[in-house]
Amino acid sequence: MSELLSTLLHDARVWQGHRHRTTTQPAETTGFQALDNQLGGLGWPRGALSECLLDASGIGELQLVLPLMKRMTEAGQTVFWLNPPHTPYAPALAREGVGLDNLVVIHTEDASDFLWTLENCLRSPVTGLVLAWPGKLATRDVRRLQLASEAGQNVCVLFRERRQAEQNSPAALRLELVPDEQQSLKVNVLKRRGSWSGQRCTLAMAHRANIRVQEAPRVVQGPWPGVAR
Amino acid sequence: MLWLYLHFPHLLLDHVRRSQPVENALVIVEGTGQSVLQACPLAQDQGIQPGMRLKTALGLAPELHILQADQQQQTQLLEEQARWLYRYVAHITLATPDGLWAEVSSLQRLYGGLPAIWQTIEQALAEHQLTAWAALGHTPLAARLLARAGKGECSADKGHINHALAQLPLAAAEFDKTACTRLNRLGLETLGDVFALPQKELARRLSPELLAYVQKIQGTRPDPRAPWQPPHRFRQRADFIQEVEHTQGLLFALQRILAELEEDLCWRQQDTDTLLLVLQHRHQEPTRLRLRTTGPEHRADTFLKLIRLKLDQQPLSGPVVSLVLGVRRFISREAPGGQDLLGETQDLNEAWHTLISRLQARLGDQALKQLYPQADHRPERAWSAGAVKRAKNSALMNPQCLPRRPLWLLPGPCPLTETPVAWFSGPERISGGWWDGQRVHRDYYIAQLPGGQLAWVFRDTQNAWFVHGWFG
Repeated sequence: MSELLSTLLHDARVWQGHRHRTTTQPAETTGFQALDNQLGGLGWPRGALSECLLDASGIGELQLVLPLMKRMTEAGQTVFWLNPPHTPYAPALAREGVGLDNLVVIHTEDASDFLWTLENCLRSPVTGLVLAWPGKLATRDVRRLQLASEAGQNVCVLFRERRQAEQNSPAALRLELVPDEQQSLKVNVLKRRGSWSGQRCTLAMAHRANIRVQEAPRVVQGPWPGVAR
Repeated sequence: MLWLYLHFPHLLLDHVRRSQPVENALVIVEGTGQSVLQACPLAQDQGIQPGMRLKTALGLAPELHILQADQQQQTQLLEEQARWLYRYVAHITLATPDGLWAEVSSLQRLYGGLPAIWQTIEQALAEHQLTAWAALGHTPLAARLLARAGKGECSADKGHINHALAQLPLAAAEFDKTACTRLNRLGLETLGDVFALPQKELARRLSPELLAYVQKIQGTRPDPRAPWQPPHRFRQRADFIQEVEHTQGLLFALQRILAELEEDLCWRQQDTDTLLLVLQHRHQEPTRLRLRTTGPEHRADTFLKLIRLKLDQQPLSGPVVSLVLGVRRFISREAPGGQDLLGETQDLNEAWHTLISRLQARLGDQALKQLYPQADHRPERAWSAGAVKRAKNSALMNPQCLPRRPLWLLPGPCPLTETPVAWFSGPERISGGWWDGQRVHRDYYIAQLPGGQLAWVFRDTQNAWFVHGWFG
């Protein structure tokens, strides 16, 4: 019994306020040094759920997972996109170096199919990364997914709405994504294993639209004012 | 060739009685409801005989349960029997409405002799709680006549069978009515008497058809029977004499059906993940329940638990008259594991196929897609979705020659409702499609919306503004 307890403590699965332990859980680096530092030098946890909470797409949320996606497809592991809200644009992904052969987009009709599909993807050894847009999800379902993800060794990122930050969630990592000045992305760590949460960092994402930061103000002059709609 | 004929004298009765324990006497009446076709032993004890008028029967037993014979239902029932018999016998022919042939001469070596086959089939019949009269014959018709007369014996001796055939009275020989009367008037009483007549005279005096029939019984004229093929689905039905109002009553019948399903699935080496349960009510639309398991499954008790859960959630909307359990989707059973000989490394290729086929089986082929870039200037045509294939990293085109594009593309352009706060690049004019009628003429810009999103917007020839993608 004591052995079991010490394993739990050592793995930082039991949260201890007075002590700061680095978790030995396997993880994948995010590809952003600033964010990795905030996450205890680890990154996306493997075999656990991660959540990204955001208001609207187009703030650089895909850029956040792009380095990982690129690495996974290069390694020949399959990346699943489950119920994406828009079409993942193949030419842009190819340009970023994502191997499209290892990328599968799945659309499900109802919530039960969604959970079933996600569970199956998580349990399979071929899966490297699952990006899922679940819509509404009960806490019970998140727990079910968390258990499924523990069965596999892959990264699962759920994209959910920001107002769900209020709800508690069994996910191992919760990030709140907010757009910041100069097209960058502010990341607030709401929850992570083995340590206090509350870290925040800002990641430059202007390169996603080829905008050079110092140039940006100069180009502001758009066609908008002169054109009647 | 040696044929085994199984005659089910009261198939409907057997079927009803194994779906539900019945205390009262039960009779099957013909379609018009005038006379009794089949009577259960209890009814026979009370003096009810097949062929009796229904009114008389009701007079004898006022508490009588009555069930109307349905041609279609009988055919389906017979097919159910053929379905399990198919596990023992390869060549089956149906004789609607109440019998079937099985060709057994080819099975003797497999089972080790006729008595073993006979015993196997009798045992299976007992397991299925069925009454059947069996008989062997060297022609299909001979087997049938003997079985229906109840004179069947486990013997392939030609002389013995011919002797038994010759003893059959003319009424049991299934001649048509006029022929039977004419033969009677000739002073013939048994089938042996007819066999003894010279064939030429038989054809001349009676009819060539009659001669053909006699020759088919004797085996001097070919009588081919097309083999029956089992359908690739499972369907079992239970009818209730007393309407079932509680879930428990349904589970009793379901238990038997699910056990048969399990046996059937084991036999096919297949699994399923979808069951369709239809509950029929007397005065309402039938209730259709679709039950899905999380994974491929074949065990009856798992299905039963699932059905029990479903029925607990959803109370019966009315008394149930009959239920049908159907399975249409079968999944071939996977070899356990996907590991190599030493069990060290998993075969990823196989695991990939397993996963994808499972997903496709449940979600449909259209739900899974792979994306490819296409050589086209128009953004909506610069990509395509295709069927999922396991491909080794194919030759990538040089990614840097592709223009900068957003990671999200909207399914269709969406009118721009907010005034962007900043403009970054553009215009990039995309004009094309004059060659196939899908003309596109747009100026694309990258703009930031008040919410902080980076959008790919365009202005068309009418000066209207649209969002076409997000820089996610």
